[in-house]
Amino acid sequence: MGALTGLGGGSIMTPLLVAFGVPIRYAIAASMVTIIATSSGSAATYVRERIANVHAAFYLEMFTITGAIVGATITTLIAPRLLYFLFAGFLLTSFVGMRRHIGEELPDNVPHSRLAEWLRLHGSYYDKALGRQVDYRMTRPIWGGAGMFIAGLAAGMLGIGAGAFKVSVHELVLRMPSKVSSTTSNFIIGMTALAGASVYFASGLLYVNLVAPMAVGTTIGAMAGGRILNHFTNKSIRILFLLILAYLIVQMLYSGIRA
Amino acid sequence: MTEKDEETLDLIISYILVGGVVLSVILESFGLFLYCRGAHGFAVSWDPVWRMSGKNFFAYSAALFLSLGRGAPSPAAIMALGLVILMMTPYVRVVVSTLFFGFKRDWKYTVITLFVLAVLTGSLIRH
Repeated sequence: MGALTGLGGGSIMTPLLVAFGVPIRYAIAASMVTIIATSSGSAATYVRERIANVHAAFYLEMFTITGAIVGATITTLIAPRLLYFLFAGFLLTSFVGMRRHIGEELPDNVPHSRLAEWLRLHGSYYDKALGRQVDYRMTRPIWGGAGMFIAGLAAGMLGIGAGAFKVSVHELVLRMPSKVSSTTSNFIIGMTALAGASVYFASGLLYVNLVAPMAVGTTIGAMAGGRILNHFTNKSIRILFLLILAYLIVQMLYSGIRA
Repeated sequence: MTEKDEETLDLIISYILVGGVVLSVILESFGLFLYCRGAHGFAVSWDPVWRMSGKNFFAYSAALFLSLGRGAPSPAAIMALGLVILMMTPYVRVVVSTLFFGFKRDWKYTVITLFVLAVLTGSLIRH
């Protein structure tokens, strides 16, 4: 699922582990490492098939990693309850935004941007579901960077991968096609999850006997997911993403109420 | 950078990612097999021997590699090695991309990847 939608899968993995009796802090730490497995396992195929946009990924990583570091630093200054509500609000906005584009197979009328051109944020991939080569370009790279900084903040503050934020920024701000968006997000989250995992590594929350079986499972799942993505249409990927987004909003609100 | 160069970089990154995950899955599976054959069976033990922790990730990884040279490695060391390789995979792809952009004199992206690399290295060292 993570491989298909560009989300790390931490939001599904953490509650599952907690249900099995693993303390929440250890569950979050273990999920963070498995996000690296999801990312690397699926991105290998996406990069080789040239669906993920490597240039865009490096440009956006700059902002998201800075956000993650700032987020992890200021996390103690803001009440967790407020954070959950704040990010639930963000996700709700992206849910509404994404719903408007639900019938759209590929973004059209993407405004021309000189900065995006300079950064070479355009690309082309072969879409197996459409049976043709798809050329696309991106727009508003500065706003995209700002959005990715906020996604990084969310990741750093809440100890999550924040894949849902990233995919929303890619599609709604930069106007990437769905497949490019989820695959590029997949590529990026491995790097942000590593930065996050380093914090848990230092705090002694990583247990190899808990993480290793999860990593084996997610790697195999991600490699399988990576192979089938291109056979889906952009529309079905977006519907799958919206369903998970709805689940995440409820989860964030619930955590906020319980905090 | 030409279109051909971009294709080459994509291919190199893809190989790094595949190599990293395949190697880590092999080591983790082998370590798990030994773990399950031990006294714990399928239960998760919270004994500190299974904990993977340190102040500096690179120093930890180096110490782990060196310990492998001394006698038969424990299941904990084998699983830890698998996870270190997994965690190093995205790091290595940033290092190699930085070198590639530098080698191809694409200064714009050399600076961008260098920035990412510096922040990432800092987060793995300083805690």
